[in-house]
Amino acid sequence: MSRVVVVGAGLAGLTAATDLSRAGVEVTVLEARDRVGGRTHGIEVAPGAWIDAGAAYLGDRHTDLAKTIADLGLKTVPTTMRGQSRFVLGHGRVTREGRFPPLSAVALGDLFDRLDDLVQRVRVDAPWRSGIPDDETAAAWAQRELTRPDARAFFPLFLGEMMAADPADVSVLHMAFYLASGGGLRYLNAFEGGAQDSRVDAGAHQLCRRLADGLGPGVVRLDTAVHTIDQTGRSATVHSASATYTCDAVVVAVPPALADEIRLLPDAPVRRTTPGTAPGRAVKVHLIYPTPLWREQGLSGWSVNADGPLMSTVDDSPAYGEVGVLTGFVTGREATRYAALTPAEQRREALAQAAAIFPSLPEPTGFQVSNWVTERYSRGCYAALLGPGDWNLLGPHLTTPHGRVHWAGAETSTEYFGLMEGAIRSGHRAAAQILAQHRPQQA
Amino acid sequence: MSVEGVSAIFGRVLQVGDVGSESDFFTLGGDSLLATRVLSAVAREYGVELSFDDFADAPTPAALAERIASLR
Repeated sequence: MSRVVVVGAGLAGLTAATDLSRAGVEVTVLEARDRVGGRTHGIEVAPGAWIDAGAAYLGDRHTDLAKTIADLGLKTVPTTMRGQSRFVLGHGRVTREGRFPPLSAVALGDLFDRLDDLVQRVRVDAPWRSGIPDDETAAAWAQRELTRPDARAFFPLFLGEMMAADPADVSVLHMAFYLASGGGLRYLNAFEGGAQDSRVDAGAHQLCRRLADGLGPGVVRLDTAVHTIDQTGRSATVHSASATYTCDAVVVAVPPALADEIRLLPDAPVRRTTPGTAPGRAVKVHLIYPTPLWREQGLSGWSVNADGPLMSTVDDSPAYGEVGVLTGFVTGREATRYAALTPAEQRREALAQAAAIFPSLPEPTGFQVSNWVTERYSRGCYAALLGPGDWNLLGPHLTTPHGRVHWAGAETSTEYFGLMEGAIRSGHRAAAQILAQHRPQQA
Repeated sequence: MSVEGVSAIFGRVLQVGDVGSESDFFTLGGDSLLATRVLSAVAREYGVELSFDDFADAPTPAALAERIASLR
């Protein structure tokens, strides 16, 4: 094994490239964008104050991510959530302690019981072998299973928050798998002690920057979109508009919809998506204030809202410095609508809603929209949404190499699928696969 | 209706063994999501629908059993 080309300079691709490089392989990383990072991206909201436009949160079970953070000399900071929450769920504006919405606790408990029953039944390592029928959407499941109005009302909000999905987008099997893969309902939902326990200090985008720096000069080629991978000859050739790279193996570390835009010669027997696979539906809206003013008013910044665009808000203020940031999550069906608005309309809607949720706050001094729904080189966020039948068709091929082409990315890890942790685990796995399969014969 | 019955619900939801009658659900690792699952189980087993605030005021098996008994 002498040369490997990695397609995609997100966490998965750069992790694979780093492992291969350390093993003595000559690596080139091709990135379509003019930056590294993929679905991690930083925005500097004030001098030296960075926030996460994309992936942000981590928890103690994200062990490979923790190792990468430590190896790169980065730190984590806890997410802060002290004070009262706001809820606008159709009965006016309610302020109360904790993140619990003012809905029937019994109805919500009944919803979580039913979801947990699915989570317990799903086989995370091979969801298509779970015995859960893969022919139904979560919307159809909810229609049948949920009888209480509060459970029906809360379910789409919960699914939007957990997996940036509309219930009609995902199969019941994928919903069960995603919740189980991320550590179960409680872990995935929780901030303190859960999957949103911490953030990377000064932004998760630094992970990819530092991984790229560690590979040395010239290894990562930006603005290089790959359109064809040809392995009809004695080696693989990776084609972009401007250059061709010849190598012994390829790691394709891009989201499944983008992997399917690459022409494979010969074609793979099964591709990475079906027409029923949907992009994750998330837009992040950042409202920037001189300081976290809501904290002085005894508010946590957390809100849950029945109507969009801001389905929930969270205090995302940088750990150090003055600036206050409320991040609004626009998820599910609402994200698709909001993503199609003009920037002026997006601003007007978000500011009007923020004023309705938090009338005591002044108009923000800064406003940013991170629109992952239409992002050319992500095609959605948090992760691809598998529809009915997708796991049965695609699952068995998730990590199976196609000749010299190996697959990585957050959607190729059945552990912590769609999260930074899943991306990193997939990168390690793809590198290990290549080193095991293509290791040169000892003389 | 028994304190033992409510302790058993706590244990099941929290996935822990013996839960003492005076053990606080939130000290044992419970959070608001898991609290709703205690309340759905209470509704199924005892036919009593409690609110989250009821539970926050009575977060031990003994106190919650008393609350349930007063409503039956």
